[in-house]
Amino acid sequence: MNESLILLLIETILIGMVPRAMPIFSAALGETVDQSAGILNLGVEGMMLMGAITGLLVDYYYHNIVFAFLAAGAVGILFGAIHGVLVITMKLDQTVIGTALWFVGWGLSGVIYAAIFGISSAPPTVQTLGHIYIPYLSSIPFFGRFIFGEDPLVYILIVTLIVVDYFLFHTKQGLNLRTVGQDPRVAEIMGVNPYLYRYAAVIFGGLMAGIGGAYLSLAIVGSFYFDLTAGMGFIAVALVYFGKWKPWRVFAGTLIFGAVYVFYFMMENIYPKIPYEFYQMLPYVVTLIMILIIGTKARAPASLALPYVKGE
Amino acid sequence: MNMEKSIKEPIVKMEGIVKTFPNVVANDGIDFEIYPKEIHALLGENGAGKTTLMNILYGLYKPDRGTIYIYGKKVNIRNPSDAQKLGIGMVHQHFSLIPYFNVLENISIGLKELKINLNTNKIKEKLDRIMQEYGLQVDPEKKIEEMSVGEMQRVEILKLLFRGANILILDEPTSALTPQEVEELFKSLKSLVNQDKSIVIITHKLYEVFEISDRITVLRKGKVTYKGFTKDTEQEALVEAMVGRNVVFEEFNRKETNYTGSLKVIGLTVYGKGKIPIVNKVSFELKRGEILGIAAVAGNGEKELIDALFGLIKANEGKIFLDDKQIDNKPTKTRTQLGLSYIPGERLTRGVAAGLSLSFNSILHDHWSDPYIKNSLLNENEIRKFARKIISSFYVNANSEETLAKQLSGGNIQKFIVGREILREPKYILAVNPTSGLDVGATQMVRQALIEMRNSGAGILLSSEDLDELVSLSDRIIVMYKGEIVGSFKRGEFDKLRIGSLMMGKKLN
Repeated sequence: MNESLILLLIETILIGMVPRAMPIFSAALGETVDQSAGILNLGVEGMMLMGAITGLLVDYYYHNIVFAFLAAGAVGILFGAIHGVLVITMKLDQTVIGTALWFVGWGLSGVIYAAIFGISSAPPTVQTLGHIYIPYLSSIPFFGRFIFGEDPLVYILIVTLIVVDYFLFHTKQGLNLRTVGQDPRVAEIMGVNPYLYRYAAVIFGGLMAGIGGAYLSLAIVGSFYFDLTAGMGFIAVALVYFGKWKPWRVFAGTLIFGAVYVFYFMMENIYPKIPYEFYQMLPYVVTLIMILIIGTKARAPASLALPYVKGE
Repeated sequence: MNMEKSIKEPIVKMEGIVKTFPNVVANDGIDFEIYPKEIHALLGENGAGKTTLMNILYGLYKPDRGTIYIYGKKVNIRNPSDAQKLGIGMVHQHFSLIPYFNVLENISIGLKELKINLNTNKIKEKLDRIMQEYGLQVDPEKKIEEMSVGEMQRVEILKLLFRGANILILDEPTSALTPQEVEELFKSLKSLVNQDKSIVIITHKLYEVFEISDRITVLRKGKVTYKGFTKDTEQEALVEAMVGRNVVFEEFNRKETNYTGSLKVIGLTVYGKGKIPIVNKVSFELKRGEILGIAAVAGNGEKELIDALFGLIKANEGKIFLDDKQIDNKPTKTRTQLGLSYIPGERLTRGVAAGLSLSFNSILHDHWSDPYIKNSLLNENEIRKFARKIISSFYVNANSEETLAKQLSGGNIQKFIVGREILREPKYILAVNPTSGLDVGATQMVRQALIEMRNSGAGILLSSEDLDELVSLSDRIIVMYKGEIVGSFKRGEFDKLRIGSLMMGKKLN
């Protein structure tokens, strides 16, 4: 390979990785807040799928992409609230409930899809979310499109990232939320209502998972099919560990995942002799290795996945 | 000064407080007052209701009945933030600190004077001022997990002062402190009182009460049994109010014993990391009918020695014989069946299964044997009978044998464990700090029980942090230092100074 080909390869990865990272990043940002408050949400995958099908339906029938995302977010919030009632108020086991929510979202999204569009017919398609090309800046060679030519939701998510990071580490409420994740008893003694913060966290987690799912169906695929997310919700959970509960590190983790994803698409075309399943496996294997390297040093919030029972 | 105090109105007045938990009446109509500028000792046995009463004042529990007045005004304290607004602060036995956060972060949690932005400079300035004012120093940037217990306690007190607390409640503040730290704490408490604060200390240590308090309230079984100024109080009256009977500090009735059989340890060695011996070639013989004390500063191999004897860890070298039967290669089950009992130091993690009932906990060692098993099934009648026997013989404060172990207070769990290990009639008992955390009455009862076991032919290996306990109970004492036995004393030759210096690593000529 000559030099210009390698440069082209890198540019392609840069341009492609951001959109690929976004569904996972959105969900992972929500999961970061969830876990910082001590809630383990293993149902992200199901919430993403529900967001994906909801977004697609609204866009398909009403042709309004803003409404589509809002609807997906609303369904995410609904799932987050249900999650909250089960694990915060009813204090049920977070691992079991998370797994249950995954199955519900996974099955329900498939059933809704099959009921409306049938099984054999061609999948419904919508136009994918358009990109904003900032004049001049986006034509800067190499970095132009990567930085100045993304779709609007990418910029919204980056702003959300900055806000969430500031919230968690530079505001009193963020400190309160992290305290609830470390030791809800201490939070309560210090005059913080642990239940309130945990509910806020699960609702934000649901919202971001729903948006992440809709991003996949509306901005990347432009359609929906059964098990569209293919494990991305679990990757999101894993990348929270990789990111050590710090939003910017989580963001970096999702970009690496996105880059490997684009890389496998390209390599599939360059070396088609290797079975494509091998390439498909790559992003997941890389994530696994990332977790193995980092995971041993990661320290989860001390009360992660533990229900808070008042007065114990 | 006391005259002045007696005319003053109380700043806190709790009237007729009743609080019932599913299994116990913790507070049974308690009246309690705190006066300005005083250190008030709230005294009582384990489970007397001291902490419950203070948790009610701090808004953690809702009383079933009763009224609270602050500065003469009736108040309704629903949660700790209500209490904090009224100037009440409490330091619990388990600190309310996040180990992962530093001092400034811990102080800022839920702080009302912060709106949104975490302004650490502003907090630091105010903290510096408070540290100056009260002479309590900590490093504001230091993480809690890197601190000593004494430092953590200072952070807790600073946290309360930061929130404007005028009434500070400290729950057994000295239990985990070194003697120097206790001295420092007492100095700080006195200076706090001089600056118009009132302090309640919850304790069951008598000497602390006389050293530091101005006024005393004693609780027993949820009721007030004594109230008065410290200077007018006799020690005997206090003990009686606490335990409800005269505790006689007399020499135990020690019989001449002559039993055959012994627990023999030969050259026992346990390696730690990097083949460094934690227990180093330890040999001794524990005869039946004697109490052999192990004196050691914690961390000198005494714990590993006992663990290896009971089979919880494997000895790397050496032999153990129980009545001439070699047991070092046998599992713990066999050892217990041969008549070995174990009273662990970690009562909640090793002594009981916290989530099981007392009746199941009573047969942890014996659930495979008669009479607790019949036709391969648990014989519940026998099990309950045994549990009831433990509860009644050792005065365990529990509603029934079906109460869960975790619902008992620490002292009652300990009484239950000691009772279980003794009533299964072992030949040998390994006892680690059997009376730690127990009140005067329960301590005396456990010691008496150990002596009776000895008189009736059990060999007891007693490891205790309390040298007085070793001296008053043991027939012989061996001293361990860095895994080795460095000294041995017979009853009649006990010399606390010599034993103490051996424990500290001094060689005797």
